[in-house]
Amino acid sequence: MSAQTMKGFEQLEGLPEAVFKRLYQQPATALAIFRRMLPNLAKTFVMAMLFNPDPVPISNLEHWVHPDKNSLKEEAFAKLRQLYLVTEKQGTFALDPTFKNELRKALTGGGLPGSFGLPCDTDDKNKVDVAFLDKYATEQWESILHFMVGNEIPSFKRPSEGVVRLLLHGKLMEQSRMSSDPVITQVGFSFLLQEANSQVWTLLLLYLDMAEQVKEMNTNLWKLDLIIIICASQLRMDPVDILHFLFLLGSLELGQDYDMKNLTPTQKGMLEDLRDYGVVYQRKVCNAFEFLTRWISLITLKSSSRRFYPTRLATALTSEIRSIRSPAASLQNATSQGDGNGFLIIETNYRLYAYTSSPLQIAVLNIFAKLISRFPNLVTARITRDSIRQAISKGITAEQIIDYMTVNAHPQLRKNSPVLPPTVVDQIRLWQIEGERMKTTPGYLFKEFSTTSEFNAVCRYANDLGVLVWADHNKGNLFVSKHEQIADYIRKRAHAGR
Amino acid sequence: MDKVDGTEHYNFKQAADLATLQVIIIDTNPIAWQLLKQSSGLSFPDALSQILIFANAHLAFSQANRAAVIANHIDGAHFLSPVPPGSDTADPDEANMTPEQQKETSQRNASKYRVFRLFEDEVRASYRRLIKSTTAETVDAIPNGSALSGALGLALTYINRICFGGTGGRSSGVPGDEKSKVNSAGGKVDDTGRTMHAKILIVSVTPDPANQYISVMNGVFAAQKLTVPIDVCKLRESTVFLQQAADATGGVYMEPEHPKGLLQYLMMGFLPDHLARSSLILPTRVDVDFRAACFCHKKVLDIGFVCSICLSIFCEPPDGAVCSTCDTKLDVSMLENIGKPVVALPKKKKKKKVTDSLPESGVASAADSPAPTEG
Repeated sequence: MSAQTMKGFEQLEGLPEAVFKRLYQQPATALAIFRRMLPNLAKTFVMAMLFNPDPVPISNLEHWVHPDKNSLKEEAFAKLRQLYLVTEKQGTFALDPTFKNELRKALTGGGLPGSFGLPCDTDDKNKVDVAFLDKYATEQWESILHFMVGNEIPSFKRPSEGVVRLLLHGKLMEQSRMSSDPVITQVGFSFLLQEANSQVWTLLLLYLDMAEQVKEMNTNLWKLDLIIIICASQLRMDPVDILHFLFLLGSLELGQDYDMKNLTPTQKGMLEDLRDYGVVYQRKVCNAFEFLTRWISLITLKSSSRRFYPTRLATALTSEIRSIRSPAASLQNATSQGDGNGFLIIETNYRLYAYTSSPLQIAVLNIFAKLISRFPNLVTARITRDSIRQAISKGITAEQIIDYMTVNAHPQLRKNSPVLPPTVVDQIRLWQIEGERMKTTPGYLFKEFSTTSEFNAVCRYANDLGVLVWADHNKGNLFVSKHEQIADYIRKRAHAGR
Repeated sequence: MDKVDGTEHYNFKQAADLATLQVIIIDTNPIAWQLLKQSSGLSFPDALSQILIFANAHLAFSQANRAAVIANHIDGAHFLSPVPPGSDTADPDEANMTPEQQKETSQRNASKYRVFRLFEDEVRASYRRLIKSTTAETVDAIPNGSALSGALGLALTYINRICFGGTGGRSSGVPGDEKSKVNSAGGKVDDTGRTMHAKILIVSVTPDPANQYISVMNGVFAAQKLTVPIDVCKLRESTVFLQQAADATGGVYMEPEHPKGLLQYLMMGFLPDHLARSSLILPTRVDVDFRAACFCHKKVLDIGFVCSICLSIFCEPPDGAVCSTCDTKLDVSMLENIGKPVVALPKKKKKKKVTDSLPESGVASAADSPAPTEG
């Protein structure tokens, strides 16, 4: 599950420097990026530099770290550089001034009022409580998931057009030729196996992606409503604005109503979409003429309710991996599906019992297990080689399946350590490996070294750099994934030898 | 061929990456802080603000991290955060606030991350309550008062409950309460059954309470057993006990040269959590003062007497030659030889014995005794 979550953030890592510099302009964003995107050691470095007025010599930081933990140090440095958090000058590190300022503000509380959301100062006439918000979030979110697996349940309404468009855009679903309704894709299946928090992030990042594309391709009208394009081009959906708002949402307080007046037009527009996902709650403005009213309200920048409530899906956005299970668990607690968060029992004989009647959970089970029988509150199934191979052929990994089962393990099963029977876990992994007999690594072959000592030296150098993939000491061949530095090194050696 | 090997596909998860509980013990002795302010210019409000920023930085590391603050006051140890359940949580200043001030507060609150805000408000309010309940007489009566052992005891019991009890924190009205439930429900647990790591930071300005030597050291050993490092930031009055505490538990000991820059010391030296500490070289003291306090008069000793049974320390032979700890009757007759050239006497005796009776016994016993350094 961690891999899945991080994937979402890796997408962010690729952003250009200018975007990052602008992202750091908000304390909430600076804090969220610090918390979510840095490895532990990098956080320590940032904190050590944060209240230091002068740039810190790199050698100081290097001496601070145990010599045998060099790889961790390099990873931390690399991450700091990659996120443009530090600037190097004459062997010293200095934190990005904007980031430094904003993170300081976040820690000391010295930012502008409203930098962590502006609570409403008047009482809401129709105040809602946390239980209501949980219910709302779960209903909205589950309706999306149910829609994806093609369950039409009367209690869940069909998600709005915006959501459907987003799912189509992210290739989580595709338009089928058979029916008018879109059907789920392989990407969609692996999406279903993720945890609630990673799912929310995936969807929100897709949203970001879509907003950017809308901006870019005004002429390309396929699939997208005219109105949305008009709105978007009028609003100029700015990715930085969107991200700011997402990070801000993560720092808000559950059950508190917030004022919209500090939000930018983009963010106000976003609220409407986020409401559809169940990430925020806002008193109803939409009706049959949803798009029309929305369009009008956007143009006049007026909405019928000026307050919004973040739900648990929102407040969990910037929590890091280890607590991710919690929002999902509390969400499930809030709904009536079974007690606690687990419903799955797996036996060492590959039989699987699921205490659930939720069509969604059954549909997910069906992805990787063979269903055998169904009772009012129980489904029995079997994990077989075929069922696992089938899931893997759809692009789902063994890890995802194992993670899903661990997260949803029944309390009874949870008493065991490890939670899942090791035989089953190992077998699932082995079934996956069956299809992966070969691994390819693109790279470069170095051969025909003049002397053994030269070969050995180059080999050692490549190993130190971490680019050595394979070496044959008898034949004097070595294979590396990157060649530039190696070639330089060989050239230098040749030069020195002469 | 060896590339076709299934084993490398196994990506076993790293050891459970647990969150950290930071317990901060602050001296709140007003006289000691006043003296520190005169000597270095660091006042208590400044120091408290800096310590709170430090706590925020700790909380910023991870959503699951938690912090607690304990005041080491003149007459006892008190929790500043989390507030004990059932206690009065009203802020004494709030009642006197005008509506404008209240509005200002809510404005200020909006600029803070809610976890930080709740934590800070609680610490400040409890501190104001604590000071309000302290009378001038108490301060005058025990100017060097410190409840170090009590505070350490509170910290350790709290850590024990949060990190090992698995039942989570206090029941109501505590910031982070929600998280504790989560921790007990679905949180990770490592092999030893702990759900969180913990560390203690002692910010000390008072001299060693010599009369608490035994209880403090007991606390230190308990911390050692729980693998909880005790970090010590000594702003005034060098200390023997706390040096030993930091040394025994693998914590950091620092005596900042410039107390005004407290925050940078805290951020650099004390912030790293257990994960970062494993890869960092931390500032520790090499020349730890290992002197102990005697059990009878609570004096810090260079040389003293030790009970041969229970290892209690005395500055002079105890009354009636009976150990006050274990009630053993001690043989004090040999003590008279102390001060005289000690080497001469036994040498003479030994020589006599050896020459008189068993010449080879010494050799035999030496051969029989197990050699610990062998191999």
